[in-house]
Amino acid sequence: MTCASFHKITAGLLAATLTGAASGTVWADVPILDLKLADYKAISGVSGSLKSIGSDSLNNLMTLWAEGFKAAYPNVKIEIEGKGSSTAPPALVAGTAQFGPMSRPMKGKEVDDFEKKFGYKPIPIRSAVDALAVFVHKDNPIKCLTLQQVDAIFSKTRKGGSDKDVTTWGQLGLAGEWANRPISLYGRNSASGTYGYFKEVALFNGDYKDSVKEQPGSSTVVQGVATDKGAIGYSGIGYKTADVRAVPLAAKAVTQCFDATADDAYAGDYPLARFLYIYVNINPNQPLDPLRAEFTRFVYSKQGQQAVLKDGYFPITAAIAEEDLKSMRLK
Amino acid sequence: MPAAAVLSVPSASRPRAADLGAQGEPYLWMLGGALALGIAMIAGLLVLVLWNGLVTFVPREIALLTLADGSRIAGETVRAETFRVPAERLEGLAPEAKAKIAAEHGLARRTLYRTGNYDVYNDDFRWIADFEVAGVAYPDGMIFAERLEWGPFVGRLQSVTVDGEVLAASDIRAANVRAAHDLARARWQRIRKIERVEIGAVNHILERERLALRRVALTSGEDSAAWRAAAARFESRQTDAQARHKMLALEATRLKERDARDRIVLVEIGGAAKDMALSQVVRMYRANEFTWADRAAIYLSRWWEFLSDEPREANTEGGVLPAIFGTFAMTILMVIVVAPFGIVTALYLREYARQGRVVALVRISVNNLAGVPSIVYGVFGLGFFAYLLGGNIDQLFYAERLPNPTFGTGGLLWAALTLALLTVPVVIVATEEAIAAVPRSMREGSLACGASKWQTIRRIVLPRAMPGILTGIILAMARGAGEVAPLMLIGVVKLAPELPIDGLFPFVHLERSFMHLGFHVFDVGFQSRNSEAGKPMVFVTTLLLIALIAAMNVTAIALRNRLKRRFAGGHF
Repeated sequence: MTCASFHKITAGLLAATLTGAASGTVWADVPILDLKLADYKAISGVSGSLKSIGSDSLNNLMTLWAEGFKAAYPNVKIEIEGKGSSTAPPALVAGTAQFGPMSRPMKGKEVDDFEKKFGYKPIPIRSAVDALAVFVHKDNPIKCLTLQQVDAIFSKTRKGGSDKDVTTWGQLGLAGEWANRPISLYGRNSASGTYGYFKEVALFNGDYKDSVKEQPGSSTVVQGVATDKGAIGYSGIGYKTADVRAVPLAAKAVTQCFDATADDAYAGDYPLARFLYIYVNINPNQPLDPLRAEFTRFVYSKQGQQAVLKDGYFPITAAIAEEDLKSMRLK
Repeated sequence: MPAAAVLSVPSASRPRAADLGAQGEPYLWMLGGALALGIAMIAGLLVLVLWNGLVTFVPREIALLTLADGSRIAGETVRAETFRVPAERLEGLAPEAKAKIAAEHGLARRTLYRTGNYDVYNDDFRWIADFEVAGVAYPDGMIFAERLEWGPFVGRLQSVTVDGEVLAASDIRAANVRAAHDLARARWQRIRKIERVEIGAVNHILERERLALRRVALTSGEDSAAWRAAAARFESRQTDAQARHKMLALEATRLKERDARDRIVLVEIGGAAKDMALSQVVRMYRANEFTWADRAAIYLSRWWEFLSDEPREANTEGGVLPAIFGTFAMTILMVIVVAPFGIVTALYLREYARQGRVVALVRISVNNLAGVPSIVYGVFGLGFFAYLLGGNIDQLFYAERLPNPTFGTGGLLWAALTLALLTVPVVIVATEEAIAAVPRSMREGSLACGASKWQTIRRIVLPRAMPGILTGIILAMARGAGEVAPLMLIGVVKLAPELPIDGLFPFVHLERSFMHLGFHVFDVGFQSRNSEAGKPMVFVTTLLLIALIAAMNVTAIALRNRLKRRFAGGHF
């Protein structure tokens, strides 16, 4: 799924009604929950063990869900492994995991491999919304970047249409001490879904420069950017710290720039907004076992989406929850 | 100084360069220097880990800042740095502030504050430049509350409710609140014990019965007499278990209802109030009214929580007990496997095998094995142990659990075996050296007295080689306990709060995935959402890992010294 189709979906389902002013506080950009989401009520007779293998962007979120779910069902065993989105499809095919969290949609080949083994397609759950942020050092004065500029910074093929390679901050319009400062690039390793998504949308399917310092985790990218003044890097907005700043982005040079906030992500204005998925192996001819059904319900409940907020991502709406639960025949 | 004068006379009469070289002085300096450099680097690393690890849990004061624009911020000071003030931030400043920055050549100081309250602010750390601050105070009444969820809360106490009744303002004394809090925490622990341990045991029985039934179904079919008998037994046990489950669940619900009536309301500095159950607060203290005894008590209680509790909030808070236990269990299991395996191999190579080309080849291969990258062992372990061996074990013995793998996936046993493979060359080499060092005369004496070859090895060679063999095992242990890369493939996971040993039959669960301190360091350092809050935990966990390995090594060294003393007296 590309960036364009995210916008199509968001236009219908994620109306901007979600983030009104939070009651009683002055923190206007704090994303809030859709109050129409169901309250989670534990049922009896759920036990067993679950294993999740996949994305590291979703690693903490899965852990938070697991903690919440275990609070409701203390005897459920949940194990979580997060080495990158590419590890999810093989684990689902091999049956070593029941849930495959991915920060990008499955590729055609991955779906085919799955279908070859089981005869049906895996079902994606859209569990949270992320605004993939482009981070710079907190002192960096850059105001806005277009995707073309981002492409020229990160890519050696420059499919975005920029005619010039960008290697210093001066080329992006910064003056003074920044004019001659070289740009140092931080990114993710290729097993990561964030790597794949950024390549597809921000690099227009081009290739990364060889000088990108590939990091083993999203948090490492942020730490790298935090300690390197001339740095730029990308990872989920949830990993933002006080030492880095998320640069507002524009899809094209003419349009205005948008911050990586919940509002702009929901409205589809922020160009790097994406869903975070969990893939599940659901046999269409058999009822879903209560353990996985309840975990899915938990993810879509108020409590589950509260965990999304806790991890720094943006929650989904009741409408999306409804639609996905229907596709899993849980509604 | 007559002595110096005497010494300097002969050297003055000879060419200086040759003199120095002949005496070996420059080499001595070089060697000494290299040693000093090495020791300094190791000591530096240890001091860094030790210092950062030890100060992490020290409770700090809460600063209340009034900013130039009138807003207020409260938080712990984390660190400060100097920065160059950008032009656009200078514009709105007061003239005296501008003059001050100009006097510092455009530089200013700024401080990072931990403001907490992530649920209210959507961030929990904030940089504040000195020129933005109108005033700093450390007022009484500021509370730092560590919560089960959402991280710490920084603010003031508004009200405390005990059993539905709000405590009067005059009753909110430290002792009262503390007593109510202790009660609420004890109740919460009890709820957790019922849910985890007691209901856990019931569910475990249920699961076992269900699997037993499924097993009968798989072996003798769904409508055989054996299956009907098993089904009847299952029904009756299930009814029993469910009755017990219901009773326990009822007690838990009752306690939870009571728990919900003890509440606390905290207000952050901007005025937003947070109402939560008192039991949700792990620890709270008035940060600006400390005595040294309070400080020490909080420090120790944080350490205790770290060592004895499960992790919370995606591993960034709480404790690391499962990881300590996992590391320890895996290392011990590895030693149990690697020691006999390595010693037997070395004995055969040194004592029985005819020394020739084949043995030399084997020896070279063993040495090369020590140089294979550890991740390769991880891949081998996953492919051979987990998928091949484990997959077959599942087919044969755990068919009723399929398609969920039991041994067919990474776990404690496979991880220990993989690490045993990784460290076996160390043990083999050390054992061979130790055996070779036993004097030939002793063996010959033994043989001459009529002892067989095996008797000689058992009674004469092995006891004397034992200290050297133990050295090898110590080295293997240190290497194994600190290894992370292969484990990531074969059984170590981010979260596995169930310990591999517990009170449920069969008590030792070697198939379980486990947590490991080394991986925990990787996870908290590189994967946690909030790297600012995660960093101190990295140091604490590293400190703990080093301490654990040191403790295991010291035990082994003490054992070795005892053995050495025993045989030192036994010489001719």
